[in-house]
Amino acid sequence: MLSYADMTPSGRRYFEEIEVGEEFESPGRTVTETDIVLFAGLSGDYNVLHTDAEFMKKSIFGERIAHGLLGLTIQSGLFYRTGRVFATLAFVGLKWKFKGPIKIGDTIRLRTRVASKRETSKADRGLVVVERTVVNQRDEVVQERETELLVDRRPACRWPPATRSSRTPSSTMW
Amino acid sequence: MPVAASHTFFEDPKLNDVVTSPAMTLTEAHLSLYSGITGDVAVEPGAVAELLPLCLSIGLGWRVPQPPLAVLAFMSMDYQIVRPLRVGDTVYGTSRVVSRRTMREGGIVIEDHEIINQRGEVAQRGRFTFLVARRPA
Repeated sequence: MLSYADMTPSGRRYFEEIEVGEEFESPGRTVTETDIVLFAGLSGDYNVLHTDAEFMKKSIFGERIAHGLLGLTIQSGLFYRTGRVFATLAFVGLKWKFKGPIKIGDTIRLRTRVASKRETSKADRGLVVVERTVVNQRDEVVQERETELLVDRRPACRWPPATRSSRTPSSTMW
Repeated sequence: MPVAASHTFFEDPKLNDVVTSPAMTLTEAHLSLYSGITGDVAVEPGAVAELLPLCLSIGLGWRVPQPPLAVLAFMSMDYQIVRPLRVGDTVYGTSRVVSRRTMREGGIVIEDHEIINQRGEVAQRGRFTFLVARRPA
C-alpha cells in the first residue's frame, strides 16, 4: 500500500491515470472539542449528542461524540491528503455507514481503494467508485462504504479548451 | 436513555408527511468556515463543496415547527448530488418519514431528504436511517 509519506506532490490525475485496486491511506487527524463546537455552529445541529456533556455522561457513549457528518466531511478533507488527488469534476453519490462513535481526542484516518471506474455518456468525464474506510487510533472502523466521483478525462488536443464552468452547471452531470 | 427537552419520538412522526425547512443562502463565509473545519474544498472558485449543503440542511431541519427527532444514532445514508450549487444560491430542505420499525433500544426511522434551490430544482437527495428513542413511559 502506498502511504502519504511515499508520495511526492504531483498534479491532479485524470480518469485514465487512476487504476482500479489502487489503495491509499491518509495522515491521521485528531478530532477535538473545538472541531465539534465549530461544526455545531456552522451546521446548526445542536443535538445533545454533540453539545451537552452532562447529558451524555448518562448515555451509552459516556461523553459527547462528533456529528456523523463531521466525520464524513473530515474524511472528505483527508481524501485530498492521500497524496495523488484526482481531477475531480464533481462528487455525485455516496453510500455511507456510521459504524461507531468518534469521541473527543480520537485520531481518525482514511483508507481508500478504487473499486471500479467506467466511462459515462459524456466524453470528457468518467465515473470512479472509491471504497472508503475511516478508522480510529485503535484501528476500529468508525465509518465506511463508498463514494462516486466524476473525474475529468485527459483532454484531447483542441482549441480553445472547454472551460470547467461551461461544463458543470448542466442538469445532467453524467 | 433519558431525553431531556421536547422531542419527536419514534412513535410520533406520521408516514409520508413532508416537512419543509426555512431556506438559507449559501455564502463564501459558509465555505470558508466549512473548509477550515473539515479540510474539504470545493472543486473550483464559486462552487459549493457538495457535502456543505447537506450539513446545513440538518441544522435547517431543527428550525421547523415540530420538535426535533430524538436521534440516538445516525446509522447510514444513501445520497446523490443531482445538480451543482454555487455561492449565492438559496436552498431549503424537505424531509419525509418513509418507514419505521421497532428495535430493542428504540426504533429505526428512515427519512427521505431533498435539498431544493431557488428555482425549485432538486440539487441533492438522499435516504437517511436513524436510531430514534422511544417515548419515555
